[in-house]
Amino acid sequence: MRISEQAKQDNRIRILEKAVDIFTTKGFDATTTRDIALAAGLATGTLFNYFPSKETLAMTMVTEAFRQGREDFQRRRTGDEDLAEELFLFIASGLRRLRPLRTFLGPVLERSLSPFPRKSVCQEGEAARQGHLNAVQGIIAGHGFAEAPDYVAMTMYWSLYLGILAFWANDTSPNQEETQALIDYATRMFVQIISGGGPGKGGADAE
Amino acid sequence: MLSEEFLEQELLKALPKDRNTDPAGQSLANLIAGISSKKVPVNSFFRVWILGSLQARVAFGYLAYWLRSRFSGAEVKRRLKSEAHLAAALQLFGTMGYLRGAVMKVGQMLANLPEVVPEEFAEVLSALHFEAPPMHYSLVREVFLDEFGREPEELFASFDQQAFAAASLGQVHRARLLSGEEVAVKIQYPGIARTIKNDLRTLRLLLQPLCLTKDWEDTIAKLADIERMLLLETDYTKEADHCRRARAVFSAEDRVVVPEIYNGLSSKRVLTSEYLPGCHINEYLQSSPDQAERDHFTTLLTIATYRLYYRLHWLPADPHPGNFIFMEDGRLGLIDFGCTLVLDEEEWRDSNAAIQAALDRDILALNQAIASACRFNHPDDMEPDHLEVIRQGFYWFMEPWQQEGLFDFGDKAFFLRGIENVIEAARKRYTRSVPMTIWSNRFTFGGRAFCYKLQGRCEFRNIFLRESAWREQDES
Ligand SMILES: Nc1ncnc2c1ncn2[C@@H]1O[C@H](COP(=O)(O)OP(=O)(O)OP(=O)(O)O)[C@@H](O)[C@H]1O
Repeated sequence: MRISEQAKQDNRIRILEKAVDIFTTKGFDATTTRDIALAAGLATGTLFNYFPSKETLAMTMVTEAFRQGREDFQRRRTGDEDLAEELFLFIASGLRRLRPLRTFLGPVLERSLSPFPRKSVCQEGEAARQGHLNAVQGIIAGHGFAEAPDYVAMTMYWSLYLGILAFWANDTSPNQEETQALIDYATRMFVQIISGGGPGKGGADAE
Repeated sequence: MLSEEFLEQELLKALPKDRNTDPAGQSLANLIAGISSKKVPVNSFFRVWILGSLQARVAFGYLAYWLRSRFSGAEVKRRLKSEAHLAAALQLFGTMGYLRGAVMKVGQMLANLPEVVPEEFAEVLSALHFEAPPMHYSLVREVFLDEFGREPEELFASFDQQAFAAASLGQVHRARLLSGEEVAVKIQYPGIARTIKNDLRTLRLLLQPLCLTKDWEDTIAKLADIERMLLLETDYTKEADHCRRARAVFSAEDRVVVPEIYNGLSSKRVLTSEYLPGCHINEYLQSSPDQAERDHFTTLLTIATYRLYYRLHWLPADPHPGNFIFMEDGRLGLIDFGCTLVLDEEEWRDSNAAIQAALDRDILALNQAIASACRFNHPDDMEPDHLEVIRQGFYWFMEPWQQEGLFDFGDKAFFLRGIENVIEAARKRYTRSVPMTIWSNRFTFGGRAFCYKLQGRCEFRNIFLRESAWREQDES
């Protein structure tokens, strides 16, 4: 029997909801696809029709959070921000949407976003990276740069960003306030790099 | 840079030299050069506000040099161990970027007053001010989302995106409440409190085993107390609480105002208070106020501090000029109760015993009070000169209390006598004391320096009699 599009959609949402709960309580590594299928009231085989692996499942959540984060960013932007501030707002908005997933996200991000060569590249991770970097390019372009930063600059940006994510996933300070300070610093530093150094750019404070 | 080299030479000249082994100060020069060429690792965000300044380096060099002179040749092992500890402590100190201003001050002080000994660093540290990095508006918004779950513009009718004043741990923005009141919103830089807490503790632990002087334990006890007081400033709910209690002891006719705190918009990291329009002392003096006006504010300031002392048993231990607002309508605004020493029963008793003994001219009781404050059991345990110097300082403190009529805090000779006494005590290393004296000294000197600058007079004795009488009535 074929099930309706609506039922499919409902199943998908239910799987994602249950998965968050189980990942959060059991941790990502200790959770099996069987656990999730069981909680969602589906056969394990059926689950695979929706998500081929638990990595894909988790990265779907991440992608969705990033999408919402980008929306929040667009809505919250005032247009008065300088480049460092706008990048800060962009990164902070994304992390705020990721926050409900934070406790189990470490291994997920490590596997899906790892910059090291891998046998199989995670498609969702690659899409998330591209989406993020495109948005960053767009932000930079809006601040009067004649051309887009080259791959060196963007690689440095991505390294900084991965560093922030890793720090954030482990951050035990209240509301991850230390991550906020780190983003503040990292964005100022990046802007200094692509602006050609000198103090005073991007609001950085140097003697 | 040329000018820096020149300055370094000048500072080197000012530094002390070991007359026997190093008359030209050459080994000191090498030592400083060694320390200043070391790079400082950048471990956390705040550390980037690095203290590369010359004065900071000289301060470090000075300390290392001083340490070296403490040990004889036979104690090489102990010396090396101490040096290692000190070097670690200095490295940490040098990276505590939010203390930038304080370290500069230490350096300047050493250049001007090379006789000072490390004990006095405790005093300098007590006067230090943190400096937080500036926040852009997007960071402010993140703090609001975390503290209240809402953006500033949802919580206020209007909110200035630019800060109008710097605070030690963050910055202050003007805003208007939905109900219309003008407010000042103080916001803390994320994570700064934790960083400071960790750094201060590490610093004290590193210094603890050094045992540099016979009074080292005393210095460490003071450092611990400073740590405790500075950490009070990191929690705005405590400050809000102090503000509320202070506000309650002044009425409209006192012409002293403590701003109202808005609870729903305040938390550990955000403090929303009634905006007090007016200016600080420098700007006030530029308007060339006449003597009567200056006397008026001196009177208000004296009433304010002794009201807090007698009714609440508080020492406002941070009498820094930014905390007093000269309001347009002639009222005095008191802000910032972050650094308030609340005396416990014993401290309150001791503090008053000394004042009473001086007022009664009861020299035996006064000597005993001074001995206790200097952590001796009995005045006979103190060197006679030590007792004498501290007692002179206390007499100086008590002068306004004993004079009928107007007391002139703008009198230069009076002010200088107080300073000279402090310098004499420092030179003679009479620095041992209970930790509370750090704050009472700071309170006294901060307040008197302020009134001196203001060139103001007041009926000090009358004010003291009135304020202390309230206590007696109430308790009988
Ligand atoms: N309620 C207020 N009304 C008017 N101005 C205010 C108010 N609160 C703060 N300010 C301004 O902000 C400055 C810093 O505020 P505050 O003294 O409370 O901060 P702080 O962190 O305790 O700083 P510091 O330790 O340097 O005194 C004040 O000097 C004053 O200019």
